[in-house]
Amino acid sequence: MILSDVLGSDVVDHHGQRLGEVSDVRFALDAAPGQLLSGARMVGIVVSPRTASSFLGYERLGLTQPWPVAQLLRWRHRGSFLVLWEDIERMGSQEVALRAGFTAYESTLES
Amino acid sequence: MSKAKRIQPSEIRPAPRAAGKVLDAQLHLLDRQMLDVDGVPVSTVDDVELSGPEPDERIPESAPAPHITALLTGPVLGTRIFGGRPPSSRLIRIPWRVVAGVDTVITLGVRSDSLDASWVERWLRNHVIARIPGGRHDP
Amino acid sequence: MKRLLGVALGILTAIGGFVDIGDLVTNAVVGSRFGMSLAWVVVIGVVGICLFANMSGRVAAVSGRATFEVIRERMGPRAGLANLGASFLINLMTVTAEIGGIALALQLASGVAYMLWVPFALLAVWLVIWRVKFSIMENVTGLVGLTLVVFAVALFLLKPDWGSLAAQALSPSVPGEESTGTYWYYAIALFGAAMTPYEVFFFSSGAVEERWKVKDLVQSRINVLLGFPLGGFLSLAIAACAAVVLLPAGISVTTLSQVVLPVAQAGGQLALAVLILGIVAATFGAALETTLSSGYTLAQYFGWPWGKFRRPAAASRFHVAMMVVLLAGVAVLATGVDPILVTEYSVVFSAIALPLTYLPILIVANDPQYMGKHVNGRAVNVAGLVYLVIILVASIAAIPLMIASGAGA
Repeated sequence: MILSDVLGSDVVDHHGQRLGEVSDVRFALDAAPGQLLSGARMVGIVVSPRTASSFLGYERLGLTQPWPVAQLLRWRHRGSFLVLWEDIERMGSQEVALRAGFTAYESTLES
Repeated sequence: MSKAKRIQPSEIRPAPRAAGKVLDAQLHLLDRQMLDVDGVPVSTVDDVELSGPEPDERIPESAPAPHITALLTGPVLGTRIFGGRPPSSRLIRIPWRVVAGVDTVITLGVRSDSLDASWVERWLRNHVIARIPGGRHDP
Repeated sequence: MKRLLGVALGILTAIGGFVDIGDLVTNAVVGSRFGMSLAWVVVIGVVGICLFANMSGRVAAVSGRATFEVIRERMGPRAGLANLGASFLINLMTVTAEIGGIALALQLASGVAYMLWVPFALLAVWLVIWRVKFSIMENVTGLVGLTLVVFAVALFLLKPDWGSLAAQALSPSVPGEESTGTYWYYAIALFGAAMTPYEVFFFSSGAVEERWKVKDLVQSRINVLLGFPLGGFLSLAIAACAAVVLLPAGISVTTLSQVVLPVAQAGGQLALAVLILGIVAATFGAALETTLSSGYTLAQYFGWPWGKFRRPAAASRFHVAMMVVLLAGVAVLATGVDPILVTEYSVVFSAIALPLTYLPILIVANDPQYMGKHVNGRAVNVAGLVYLVIILVASIAAIPLMIASGAGA
């Protein structure tokens, strides 16, 4: 599976209700250690309510400059959340379906 | 085609801590420059290949999380922008195991000449530049 | 002496931005039709380019990343591609015009037909890009291009009515014979010329070529604060000469001959010779700047190795791309098109490229991952935002005004 298949797809819950779009995929470097860098294990997906175009990442980092660009983009992506791999039922070419009773987490990255 | 109305999850919990460094693909990997071990640019990261899951198949309950197998470059940029995807055999891969660091650039632990990704560069070097006098001279 | 030559990058960048062949003619046209009533636009443009060139120079020095890489990384590949397309076309049109400009200036000097000079100009530009060290290239073209200051000397020799020139500049108004639409079209053209994206692409890539690091931030600032105001000063001098000599006589500027007329009138054959030398150097410098920019932007978008600090064999795609651009430019010239006319239409593509260039610069200059503690201060951010609004307005108004005024006819 390649990333551009997934980025921008709709995210739906167990009942088919739309939750937003995949704006990013999160990895953690905590898999088997390699010669250079550890393996990058998928942690989950970041779901954005309005749009997937969050390449600027303002909603996830603590940046506040330049005003008002940062604030505008933050506002546009309010309500973004992280869904862990364990809560994903299906990743398809059209949409990503979540399991029943999934948990939504904050999508902020620690700086 | 207007999007279906969306619902917002009722509660959002604080994120769980991760064991190692955390990377968001779009934020930290995609469209970044890759430099080889000598600092020579190789290409940009145009896409990322994962080890799974199978598309459209139901994921079993305790299936292990997929990991990044390779960074992709080349024609996959065209399909990323315009849609579709190239067949797997045509993808130009930089295996994750040669990645040494992720920062404002992605550093690789190998030299660019050893990678598929720079074959156009080598071809032009051998067939065009080398034929013009002065091409191999230091500036 | 090293410090002095250390500002060559800023001067060369400014030459390509303010007094390339297109601007030489446009400034003379503006002076001959509007007097000094558009001088305020040049001032605003100079402040704008100083602001953003300084930011992009700082990003390059601190993070080692040149501007176009930043554009793709921040804006995404789609917007980056749109910018690449627009910038590439601007560069191509400008390269075409500059090669034509070198040939026109040499024709003026020698009387030998312009078309015969074109292949010579092409070869000369390519040879410098292929073999000449970046520092030598910038020092020589920058220094010789400075002889354009003869415009300012000529202005003094013409003994103009300073009061009336100042009045035109300080209380601008649209002259009777011109329409408001044309006035604003030229305002946007002058602003776009002052802030052409290839200036920041070249300046930031040049910063990487020169290996500027954090300790060179002061030098970067000196380059900016010396080079671009100088470019603006030369622009104003050209317009003023035209305002003093061509405007009262009702002479319209159609070729290079009218542009040099005020200097010939003021200082005779000697001044004219110095001026032609300056024009050749300036258009040559602009040709180098825009050809290199086309290579830089392509290479930085796709991630190819680039730079004159590398052997051509170590940056093959970069050099092949530039060869293709030069050949395409000459092919266009071979069709007989007026090279100066070509640059007028690049205003259209500037309108697209301007906002897509300057927004990501402002964003990355605030990003601590790139800049560490050298992120923008408050004042710079406020100024940057004001300019983004001006740039957006200019970019939206450019094409309608161009159509409405018939490209300033």
